[in-house]
Amino acid sequence: MSEGQSFKLFAKPKLESSSLVVAWNQDVGKVGPGVVGYLNRKLEGREFAEINPEGFFSLGGVSVEEDIAQFPESKFYWYPEKSLVIFKSDIPQYEWYGFLSLVLDIAEKYCKVKEIYTVGGMVSTAAHTTPRMLLSVANSAEMKMMLGHYELVSDMDYETQDGQRPTFSSFLLWAAKRRNIVGASLWVTLPFYLLAVADPQACKKLAEFFNGRLELGIDFSDIDEEIVSQNKEIAQVRNKFPELDDYISKLEGNVSLNVNESEKLVREIEEWLRRTR
Amino acid sequence: MGVRLYKEPKLNEPIMVACWPGIGNIGVIAVDILRRVMAAEELGEIEPWEFFYPRRVLIRDGELKGLEFPSNKFYFKKTGKKDVLFFIGEEQPSDGIRAYAEGTKAYRMANLVIDVALKFGCHRVYTSGAAVAPIHHTARSRVWVVPNSENLIDEAKSYENTVLMSDIEDRDGQGNITGLNGLLLGVARKRGLEAICVMGEVPVYIHGFPIPYPKGSKSVLEVLSTALGIEVPMDEINALVQQSESEIDSVYERLPSEIKEQLDKLKYVTYAKPSEPEPITEEDKKKILQEIDKLFKREPGGD
Repeated sequence: MSEGQSFKLFAKPKLESSSLVVAWNQDVGKVGPGVVGYLNRKLEGREFAEINPEGFFSLGGVSVEEDIAQFPESKFYWYPEKSLVIFKSDIPQYEWYGFLSLVLDIAEKYCKVKEIYTVGGMVSTAAHTTPRMLLSVANSAEMKMMLGHYELVSDMDYETQDGQRPTFSSFLLWAAKRRNIVGASLWVTLPFYLLAVADPQACKKLAEFFNGRLELGIDFSDIDEEIVSQNKEIAQVRNKFPELDDYISKLEGNVSLNVNESEKLVREIEEWLRRTR
Repeated sequence: MGVRLYKEPKLNEPIMVACWPGIGNIGVIAVDILRRVMAAEELGEIEPWEFFYPRRVLIRDGELKGLEFPSNKFYFKKTGKKDVLFFIGEEQPSDGIRAYAEGTKAYRMANLVIDVALKFGCHRVYTSGAAVAPIHHTARSRVWVVPNSENLIDEAKSYENTVLMSDIEDRDGQGNITGLNGLLLGVARKRGLEAICVMGEVPVYIHGFPIPYPKGSKSVLEVLSTALGIEVPMDEINALVQQSESEIDSVYERLPSEIKEQLDKLKYVTYAKPSEPEPITEEDKKKILQEIDKLFKREPGGD
């Protein structure tokens, strides 16, 4: 680990022991960055380190998303008087293990990180009126036991299928385990027709977990208002378009939609919510 | 970080045979058969996580049990004469865009392989791969041999069914061997080891498809078994050759007759010395490849 060459350190957080929450910008429904963005705002996070992109990203130009030029970012934040550290980053294109090692080096050396969580979204075919579920994958029996105290789905069986590859979060958990750092991936479900717009309910579900686990003392009244407001907007769509109401009712009754119905629901909800915001 | 050895046998002047996947999996098929025929034992591995993205995760009851990476294993066999070390890589470390390794990672991996070779007192390394050639798939593949020093040329030429780069028309002894099968020759030379790359021919109209070409492997296997002084039963490779040839034949039969006529000319061509009556011209070759690409709607790749 060479400061200056591979990362910049802006401050040295005063932490005796901490939990690291990791979010990747390339996430389903942007849930991960949404949650850490919310925690950052609520807890007034302070950026203290940044991993340099050289060697990890192609740097052959920039991508443009929603009219804005993007550039890979890999930043650490800390919160005085809280035992929380956040790492928000793009997923590197090269030197994956080297990148993860650097993340863990910084977390251990400067934050004395004892546990790691990755956060992300998982597409669900359930309706938005169905409560969000939080699923977990632990990297050790110890972590799994600890998570047992929370309301999580923690009995998942999964094996990578041909043509797919493991998530970068799995790679991180595995690398953390090699250093005897316990960790878990947390995945919150979000309705497929809210992927392109924010889902405050999914965001709250994850933030609530950390609020309880790390005693962050967050007041959720603002996000509760957002949830109420979004639900009202979707209710208006349902009133205005009986066809869409029918689709959502089907989902509420655990009936699947066909491809055309799904596509129409996604398109109309997205358009409506974007227009009303 | 690097190499993990499961055991440290005392080996007698071992010869190393190393390979990574490439066009037609020619080298890997040959070397893997050789390894199994010799009943070589596992010796160790290169720790893969520094080089590869994992390809499989196993989660049971909500707990991450493990990640699976492409393997990069060493094997050994005591023979009573010169012992044999094998290295077989399941994948070449790449950036996800190119299929073949290059740059720092490739160099690092090549050096780790040579570290093991030197640790066990090895002085000679063979690597193997594919040589894309204007041949017909019904023809016996020859083996292009590229040594890493001048004093190995006579030996390389002495193996049956081999050609040097200088034997190949228009090449004038020049060429490239892409990826780790080539790079290892250079790293071996830099670190004072003799090395020879043996490359089985694959027809130019097949090399772009992601299918094995066991006919090329068979020729490589013949050269390696001679070089190592080991008799290898050919039943397994012969069965693979037969199966692959019938699969290629069935695709070949479906080609437009104009293309088939052009490709059939390859049966009568020796590219070292163009022969009568109708050698395939560069113009013909270009046209054939364009038609084949159109037929299969894909770009040709290659070493």
